[in-house]
Amino acid sequence: MNWKKFFFAFIAAFGFMFLFGFLWYGKLMHGPHQEVPILWRTEADFGNHFSSLVFGHVVMAFFLTLLCARFAPGGGAGPCAILGVLVALIYAGADLITFAVQPLTTKILCGWIAGHLIQFTIAGAIIGAVYKSDSRMTPQV
Amino acid sequence: MKRFIVAFIAAYIFIFFWGWLLNGVLLKDIYAQTPNLWRSQSEMMSLFHWIIIGQALVVFAFVMIYASGFAGGGVIAGIRLGILLEIAAIGMRMAIYAVQPFPGKLIVYGSISGLIEMLIVGAIVGAIYKPASQTTT
Repeated sequence: MNWKKFFFAFIAAFGFMFLFGFLWYGKLMHGPHQEVPILWRTEADFGNHFSSLVFGHVVMAFFLTLLCARFAPGGGAGPCAILGVLVALIYAGADLITFAVQPLTTKILCGWIAGHLIQFTIAGAIIGAVYKSDSRMTPQV
Repeated sequence: MKRFIVAFIAAYIFIFFWGWLLNGVLLKDIYAQTPNLWRSQSEMMSLFHWIIIGQALVVFAFVMIYASGFAGGGVIAGIRLGILLEIAAIGMRMAIYAVQPFPGKLIVYGSISGLIEMLIVGAIVGAIYKPASQTTT
């Protein structure tokens, strides 16, 4: 594994995922989220747990990068974007389960699913583009 | 294709019963500590089909990822894939914990059980699914 490229791919993925999360879930979906205020922490409480949000994104970006490096050792935006779509489907499945057990609106459900699809597809493409190496190897697990 | 379907069905059956045992029985008391975060029992039952579809989507995507990039490594490759995917999911769980007032205990137990779940799903899929070149007719 090319650790230098891996590191840059991880940083790029983290930067994108965190920024996208802020814009999509924090800004664009702020209105729909406010339809069920009981589900969310207060501003002050959210501030106290902000480190969890950052660390959670670090973990997600790191393991998505690791997954891409294993899935497509030669890198490339295309194969890693496809992996991103498949990973997003796992989160979409989890969103559907959450919808069944938590009082989310359908607007929130659709927003979360669309957000995950866009977020992980683009993050996968970014990782693949940055991680891309000249030598093609066989997948190793 | 046949092994893909068999792997999907086997992993789905496991995930369905694991989900029931964990969320419906073992963690029931912890969920009860935050009743305002959850739908009522009757409401959940009326939306139960979304749980079935959601679980099927999770398993389908898992088998697809395994079949497209990790097949051939057997049980160990399946377990490794399960661990990688679940640790990424723990990251998501931590991000959700920052915005939703879940008890910390629920996040910890959910993450541990999620790891066990994906480890077993990986082992099932790795044991059943074989790429075409490895299967005998």
